[in-house]
Amino acid sequence: QRLMLQQPPQPIGIASKVLCLTQVVTEDELKDDDDYDDILADMKTECGKFGDLVNVVIPRPNSNGEVSAGVGKVFLEYVDTESASKARTGLHGRKFGGNQVVAVFYEEDKYHQKDYED
Amino acid sequence: GNGETTKKRKSRWADEEPKPIIQLPDFMKDFAQGIDSDPEIQLLNARLLEISKILQAGVQLDDRPEGARSPSPEPVYDNLGIRINTREFRARERLNKERQEIIAQIIKRNPAFKPPADYRPPKLNK
Repeated sequence: QRLMLQQPPQPIGIASKVLCLTQVVTEDELKDDDDYDDILADMKTECGKFGDLVNVVIPRPNSNGEVSAGVGKVFLEYVDTESASKARTGLHGRKFGGNQVVAVFYEEDKYHQKDYED
Repeated sequence: GNGETTKKRKSRWADEEPKPIIQLPDFMKDFAQGIDSDPEIQLLNARLLEISKILQAGVQLDDRPEGARSPSPEPVYDNLGIRINTREFRARERLNKERQEIIAQIIKRNPAFKPPADYRPPKLNK
């Protein structure tokens, strides 16, 4: 008789339209308006090469010094999963400002609810 | 500042570079293989091979008469009423568990080790 096998492990990020880059930017860089603008521009230029971007979200630290969720990450919302997928392959492991980028898919629902925690 | 500057700023993105394939010179190859000659890893590998063979050939069950063996656990049945935890099944489970543990240990010592396709890393508890 066929026995129940162990459940497969959770895949690392289910393909979605939203890509999350981690280990990209530092809190200090984000505090500075000029740096922030530069980073945003760099992201739009480079990440737009993989497909049309709907939006780029870079959570910034609060001025009151509280640690806010998602600081250090960059969220890229593409028009379709295919573009996001291409970007994942193309960006993962690339260097941004000396940091090695880790690119994972992000749950669209969470992204739209502005839940940047994971 | 809103882009009034004419100076072209360099992107923070590093140029896309093809990942170089590192070719080790011959004298380095022995060194790189050094990890496989680690006696502990060799031992683990040998046991792994042994277990794989047993699992493939069929598990040998303890052939002592029932009274001489340690008592069996309470039977467990699936929803079709078929007993799940037969002796054969328990023996297999034991070997499978050992196999997974050995693989985990080899990976710990040698992160470059390619585990077999059916290996599942132990679940990390949050």
